[in-house]
Amino acid sequence: MSNKQYQKIRLVITVIIAIIFGQSIVLGNYIIPIITLIIASLVLLLLRRKVKDIISDERDMTLGGKSALLAIQIYSWVAVIAMLILYASRNINPSYEPIGMTLAYSTCLLMFIYSIIFRFYNKETFSKNKKKYIIFVIILAIFIAFFSIRFFSGEDNWICKDGQWIKHGNPSFDIPSIECK
Amino acid sequence: MKNNIKELRNKLHITQEELAKKAKVRRETIIFLEQNKYNPSLQLAHDVAEALKTTIDKLFQF
Repeated sequence: MSNKQYQKIRLVITVIIAIIFGQSIVLGNYIIPIITLIIASLVLLLLRRKVKDIISDERDMTLGGKSALLAIQIYSWVAVIAMLILYASRNINPSYEPIGMTLAYSTCLLMFIYSIIFRFYNKETFSKNKKKYIIFVIILAIFIAFFSIRFFSGEDNWICKDGQWIKHGNPSFDIPSIECK
Repeated sequence: MKNNIKELRNKLHITQEELAKKAKVRRETIIFLEQNKYNPSLQLAHDVAEALKTTIDKLFQF
């Protein structure tokens, strides 16, 4: 398989993932996107192995590293400023607080992952330590899955039941102002 | 850092694509190298020099 063919297939898969993601969120199903993402990643991984051309080289890695670092810095600054504004405006709309907190925690998680990966690359040579890398990815996936389940489980949240908002657990924010259908 | 990759490549009648394959990089990287827009790693400098049947010190001028 040539690099061009692989790029085309990757584009198609990305579009399919975006459509499935959009539709699943509209339908309120969060399992389908996760399964789709895992399957798509595996398919891309298998296809990548069949590509005989060079997909990326050291220049791509250098540019990717610089771009990623800059993206993290920009995202962190924007997220921190947005979080402060949202948190300060929580009296206007109580739903601003969880949004701000989500932004803050996501920034912390991003920086945490970045620092772990940076330390890993700083100490180890990736190609010689594939097993360690795989173990790290599995642990990270379990960590993310655990927090995703906790987040989507509906614990400490307001639940819409029979046209009324019912307190579930101990939500950190006031009753939602939107209508419960 | 300057280099004479283009001159040596033309001398050996090698295309950018062929040189890229020999050096195990993408063709775009060869273009950037020839235009002195990218400083390669020591490994890539060695691979390019080997593909052009020369040495790093002859290929790159510091």
